[in-house]
Amino acid sequence: MEANVYGLNAINAHNGWAISVVGVTIVFTGLVMLSMAIAQIHKLLDLWEHRNELSLFRKKEPVMTQPQVQLTPGQKESARQFKLLAETLNEHFSLPRLLSLARVSGIDHPHTTLAILLETNIIVDDTQGYHIWDISQFKTLVS
Amino acid sequence: MEHLFVDFFQNTGFYLCDYRNIVMILVGMTFIYLGIAKHYEPLLLVPIGFGMLMGNIPVFQGLGLGIYEDNSVLHYLYFGVTQGIYPPLIFLGIGAMTDFSTLLARPVLMLLGAAAQAGIFITFLGALALGFAPNEAASIGIIGGADGPTAIFLTAKLAPTLIGPIAVAAYSYMALVPVIQPPIMKLLTTRKERLIRMEEPREVSKREKMLFPIVAFLLCCFLAPAALPLLGMLCFGNLLKEAVVTERLAVAARNAIIDSVTILLGVTVGASTQGNVFLTSQSVGIFVLGALSFCVATACGLLFAKFMNLFLKSKINPLLGAAGVSAVPDSARVVQIVGQKEDPTNFLLMHAMAPNISGVIGSAVAAGVLWSFMS
Repeated sequence: MEANVYGLNAINAHNGWAISVVGVTIVFTGLVMLSMAIAQIHKLLDLWEHRNELSLFRKKEPVMTQPQVQLTPGQKESARQFKLLAETLNEHFSLPRLLSLARVSGIDHPHTTLAILLETNIIVDDTQGYHIWDISQFKTLVS
Repeated sequence: MEHLFVDFFQNTGFYLCDYRNIVMILVGMTFIYLGIAKHYEPLLLVPIGFGMLMGNIPVFQGLGLGIYEDNSVLHYLYFGVTQGIYPPLIFLGIGAMTDFSTLLARPVLMLLGAAAQAGIFITFLGALALGFAPNEAASIGIIGGADGPTAIFLTAKLAPTLIGPIAVAAYSYMALVPVIQPPIMKLLTTRKERLIRMEEPREVSKREKMLFPIVAFLLCCFLAPAALPLLGMLCFGNLLKEAVVTERLAVAARNAIIDSVTILLGVTVGASTQGNVFLTSQSVGIFVLGALSFCVATACGLLFAKFMNLFLKSKINPLLGAAGVSAVPDSARVVQIVGQKEDPTNFLLMHAMAPNISGVIGSAVAAGVLWSFMS
């Protein structure tokens, strides 16, 4: 215990105000920083656990570009004839029925043409056992 | 033959006894009584109380019996106190037994632990004003941290001659938390405020709990490196607990190590309170300032909680501010008791543990800051 200096003089003499203010500030800053940091821990962990769902970390899958199908003029003509036949059927038609109509109508290479129409998605499976004619695809590739 | 009897008599405690030894023996017995009969911090008060009895048996100087004699057994055991070895080991155990979930669930409550540390610095100013040297004032101020090991650690570094009174004051006030805090809590809060219910905390993942000690250690020790011995051991102990794979070490830290060190610390601190060293006007000043420090720290926590409520959408019960002083877990228990007196269905204990634990971290950082300023 120092004998001579007391009260505010002692505080001033030992730089007490500055030590207290700086001390409180450091303690407060430290705990504020810590509370802010720990408030983010669960968010960061959550981010890490779901990293595969983030576009930033997701591996880019190669884009499967469908090669542009170029039909020959003969194939286009056969496709137009198939369309006329399909229009005589219901919207959802059976392939064997279309094929038999093509045979009866005397279209050249009906099996090959039908295969091309299926590969180019001009004729599309309706998943119910029947098929439908995709007008837009037809227009893109044939018209 | 008569000469031998006289010599023997002159070496007995009855002959060498001083009224100060008697006073301290009575204080020691009071500590033992409070610990055993009243259950006030028995794990601390009983060893300290018995240590007081040991330290105040008047002994013939030169026989190597007293704690302040270089070659005595007690002196060697006291080495762990004077060199600041025991407090970090106690922090290791505290870390290994503490669950930081509530703190992680609502980190904003950490600010209450920070606010309560203002009591340390206000008491530091008070001690300077009373004429204590800055290093002594810093050691007295840290009593407001309500953390015995931290108070002993800082005093061992800054003012070793004051370890006895400061340790006894710190542990006495920690034991008296249920008596000191409730009147201040009632004075500074309204009934409506005491009835506030806290939101259910979110669930905290194991990974979060494992990361916390590492983040807390790095952040706090980069900011205040002098807090390294205490915070390092606290966080290390907690990592041992949360890592699961080190459960064996965690069990040792929270049982065998902390228990052994508490016994050694308690007994030697108690034994250091020899009447002729302890009963001075300086000790009285330390006790008065210690009480003031405790009260101011409690008030700062409460008032800061009220201040936070001005900005928070989901209000917090301001009683939690009182748990910002460390005294784990006693001050959290007091919050629970005071809260339940107003509403028996309001459970605040779990929420109060957050500022309570942040108070431990805050007081360790404050000790580090004061140590770095004074050294």
